[in-house]
Amino acid sequence: MSTTSLRNPWGKPRWLVGITWVYILWSLLPVLLAIRFAFNSGRSRTSLQGWSTKWFFGDNSFSVFGDPTLQDALTHSLVLAGLAMLIATPLGIMLAIGLQRWRGRGSGPANIVALLPLVTPELVFAVGLFLLFTTAMTTIGLGTTAQVIGHVTFSMSFVVVIVRGRLITIGPDVEEAAADLGAPPLAVIWRVLLPLLAPAVAASLLIVFALSIDDFVVSQYLASGADTTTVPMRIYAQARAAPTPALNALATLMLAFTLIALGLAYAIFRFFSRGEKGGSAIEQIASIDSGGGR
Amino acid sequence: MSEGDIRLEGLVKRYGDVLAVDGIDLHVPAGEFFTMLGPSGCGKTTTLRMIAGFERPDEGEILLDGSDMSSTPPHKRRVNTVFQNYALFTHKTVAENVGFGLRYQKVSKDETNRRVRAVMEMVQISELGERRTSELSGGQQQRVALARALVLEAPVLLLDEPLGALDARLRLDLQVELKRIQEQLEVTFIYVTHDQDEALTMSDRVAVMKDGKIEQCDVPQKLYEEPSTAFVANFLGSANLLSVEARAAGAGCDVILGSFTLKSESSPEQAGTGTAMIRPEYVKLEPHGSEGENRIPGMVEEVVYMGFHQDVRVRLANGDLIRADVPNDGDSPEYEQGNAVAVHLRAANLRVLDDYPDELADKPAGDADIAAL
Repeated sequence: MSTTSLRNPWGKPRWLVGITWVYILWSLLPVLLAIRFAFNSGRSRTSLQGWSTKWFFGDNSFSVFGDPTLQDALTHSLVLAGLAMLIATPLGIMLAIGLQRWRGRGSGPANIVALLPLVTPELVFAVGLFLLFTTAMTTIGLGTTAQVIGHVTFSMSFVVVIVRGRLITIGPDVEEAAADLGAPPLAVIWRVLLPLLAPAVAASLLIVFALSIDDFVVSQYLASGADTTTVPMRIYAQARAAPTPALNALATLMLAFTLIALGLAYAIFRFFSRGEKGGSAIEQIASIDSGGGR
Repeated sequence: MSEGDIRLEGLVKRYGDVLAVDGIDLHVPAGEFFTMLGPSGCGKTTTLRMIAGFERPDEGEILLDGSDMSSTPPHKRRVNTVFQNYALFTHKTVAENVGFGLRYQKVSKDETNRRVRAVMEMVQISELGERRTSELSGGQQQRVALARALVLEAPVLLLDEPLGALDARLRLDLQVELKRIQEQLEVTFIYVTHDQDEALTMSDRVAVMKDGKIEQCDVPQKLYEEPSTAFVANFLGSANLLSVEARAAGAGCDVILGSFTLKSESSPEQAGTGTAMIRPEYVKLEPHGSEGENRIPGMVEEVVYMGFHQDVRVRLANGDLIRADVPNDGDSPEYEQGNAVAVHLRAANLRVLDDYPDELADKPAGDADIAAL
């Protein structure tokens, strides 16, 4: 009886529970539908025609593993995401430590600038990079390098946010304690700061991976041709030309990669921060992930 | 000469326009348990952090055994710190925490193990070696922090309110233990606290600090019995402050309080218009009409039952209000509002102070004279 729960402030908020579930189902429904059609045995992406994995592994030239363009896109996406992850994370960690220690004139604006990519419309950002690489920095030009630089640039802000959150939790005292006990500055970072940052490092690596792998706008603008086509670009292009359930299969694979990455991030985070109280950093990851669905 | 002699000369630290430490000169001989006591913002922690090397003094020198170390980085200073919030390495076990600093001292593995075991035994955490620090109670974490600093056998140990986060019972235990360890190792302890009990019970000497300066520095008994300023008198225990006129009289002073003249054993150099202080427990209440020097008639205005003593407030004949602690020892009479009494302010306990506190000047005479914590 909903009326009793409204009158009774100690009762369970059934209405809120109900609305929450409706929302969850509604937001999952399109994803589930897309996955369902990846396993369609027919060619249609609109009517159900039985179950099959042929759009993944089928020997016809339309399946993900049969169509070389889809395979190339998948490889390119993974390479991009891997490079972005390995470059953006260390840079972001260094930037975060630097910003955290920087006191005094200039530190305020620097903080804002470092986080600007979080709020800049991605299209503006991508167009800006496009102009940069086609006019000013023509030695780099468009292509894989430009794409990696683009992904690194926008995902570094996320690393900064994650790592700084963790740095605040750690506090300046442990670094002082380590120095006080005789550790030289580099040893303080290697033996104390980085191990304590491990959960944030793991989270950063995988967030950057997830961000990069489903990026469309930046990849599209900085692409130079067929060999720099990523999965989202491939799906978009083919969806307008001759779509088959192979696109759904590809998207499903992407989703799986992203989910695995996030699951790993969560597991590693929990492993490294076991025994600690509070979950401020994990909440940050959650909020970043939801906000990062660019 | 044993090691651990600390000398601060003209130490100054500014944060922007704020003068955190305003010219501190201090000598702590080797092996002393020295306490810096003061309210928050008095500069005691900043001074400690400058000795540790975390802050750079703007002026002045910090000498350890005669050589200036004010430009030596913290990891090269032969001083170790126990932090208020322990600052343990949560990614390491207790034993790893304790042994952390030994790695940088080129100590062999056997020697490291031996020293870690010995120091853990001394602070009674031998059985906790393999635990993670997050599994420990506050008191245990404090012991780990202490062991981690002690294992390096530096001649000076700095302690920044190490017992601040612990409950009262545990604090008492650890006070006794800290004192024992300090005496056993003969290490110089520089201890920062805002807790007067900690300062009085453990220290060989105490510096009371205010606004970046040392207000008074002496052994605990002297500080308590013969405070030189109202600030010190109030910070350590509670005090009755009286506006008086002091006149030199032989080896002591005559203290003029309204129409009464009292004797004080304070030095005749203190003569002048100023403040006299007497602790509530030294104010003796005698039956109305008692004769003798340093006795003033008064009337009980208020009695507050405090458990182990009664807090009796007496209006003196000159109009001042004075507080007397009357012990609940079964022998002392119970006072009631309106009782007429004679208040005995003994010459030995009536001190003429150096200063004239501002708060007394601002308020009308009378009730303002009680400044009890």
